[in-house]
Amino acid sequence: MKKIAIIVALACGCGLVQAQDNYFFVNWDINTPMTNTNWIGSTSTRGIRGGYRAVIGPERRFSAGLDVSWATFSEYKPTETFQQQAGAITTDYFNYIYQLSFAASGQYYFHKSSNERFFSYVGMGLGANQNKYTVFYNIYKDQHSAWGFLARPEAGILLRISTRKRIGLMAAVHYDYSTNKSNDYNYSSFSAVGVSVGIMSMQW
Amino acid sequence: MKKNFFLFALVVGLAWACEPTPDNMKLLDQLVVQTHYDTEVNFTDYATYSISTDTIGFISNASPNDTILTEHDTPGYPRPVLQQVVKNLDQVGYTRVDKSANPDLGINVYVVNDYNLFQQVVYPSYYYPSYYGYYGSYYNYPYVNTYAQNTGALVVEMVDLKNIGADKKVRVLWTAYLGDVYSTISLLQESTDAIDQAFHQSPYIGR
Repeated sequence: MKKIAIIVALACGCGLVQAQDNYFFVNWDINTPMTNTNWIGSTSTRGIRGGYRAVIGPERRFSAGLDVSWATFSEYKPTETFQQQAGAITTDYFNYIYQLSFAASGQYYFHKSSNERFFSYVGMGLGANQNKYTVFYNIYKDQHSAWGFLARPEAGILLRISTRKRIGLMAAVHYDYSTNKSNDYNYSSFSAVGVSVGIMSMQW
Repeated sequence: MKKNFFLFALVVGLAWACEPTPDNMKLLDQLVVQTHYDTEVNFTDYATYSISTDTIGFISNASPNDTILTEHDTPGYPRPVLQQVVKNLDQVGYTRVDKSANPDLGINVYVVNDYNLFQQVVYPSYYYPSYYGYYGSYYNYPYVNTYAQNTGALVVEMVDLKNIGADKKVRVLWTAYLGDVYSTISLLQESTDAIDQAFHQSPYIGR
């Protein structure tokens, strides 16, 4: 009985998604850390973001969906000597953060007509991210992985190439705040500002 | 077509973004230098030391019978390494003497090699027979991936010969671990630089 209920619910959900206007996108994501910049402060150009958004209502003012993104932050640290209790260690090293994030998001669109080619929007995503804090030195590697709550306010634009084409361009700026931290590396509250540009496909 | 394009963009993006690692040339251009010392020791209490001239020790889990590295085994390595250690010890005021002259300190220099062989069984593309059945070919045969990891550190050790206990045990006063010596861009240069750094970060050593 429970299985049947799940199947029916999924079928209804899929039907709803298929019937609704929606769009999905793949973006190149560029991020600059705003906190803990002594650990990594460099801008990351190695990021990708994709997502699906279902438009709510005939006026196309709202949408809701899921964003998934992946980014790698890195920074080289020149040779440094770290004093220990009864000795010292000297090395140069690389700090890396491999970040995977998921966010359920909602958007509000500003437009005069629902059939326009250009949409601007503001939105908010809430979810979680996983950071793998990694230090590479010589052949050695230390890593600590942690999850945190993610909040991502965002503003962006969608530009449909033409009213007869479903494909379009997308650009957005976003601010990521996360409770993600690593006590091992004295790293707390990850936050970053990001710019993403890419392509999207509108299903209407 | 459009779906394929998006899929292609996604795959390219993921491949480009996923867990890149640092440039090896930058990672391996110098050794990690770690030093450790006995905090209860006053290094000014020692004056003389003894060290081998052209032989360094070798401890390996891969070849347990080899215990030394000579100029014959690794030409151009043991002697310059030992000379660099001697140079640094002389600079901090210790005097080199023969082993038979009751030195205060014994200097051990050796390489510790850790050789690991990994094997992983891979089961490729497991699939079930179709309705009509392809009996006898339910799955492809597994194969074994073998890969080796060879790592090691150059160790410089200072032992107390002045205060040998009644049980003939000696105390290690200072140790420098310099690694990795199996993945270097310039082994000798990096080793001698690392020896200098080991003494530089140990200012408590000397007369």
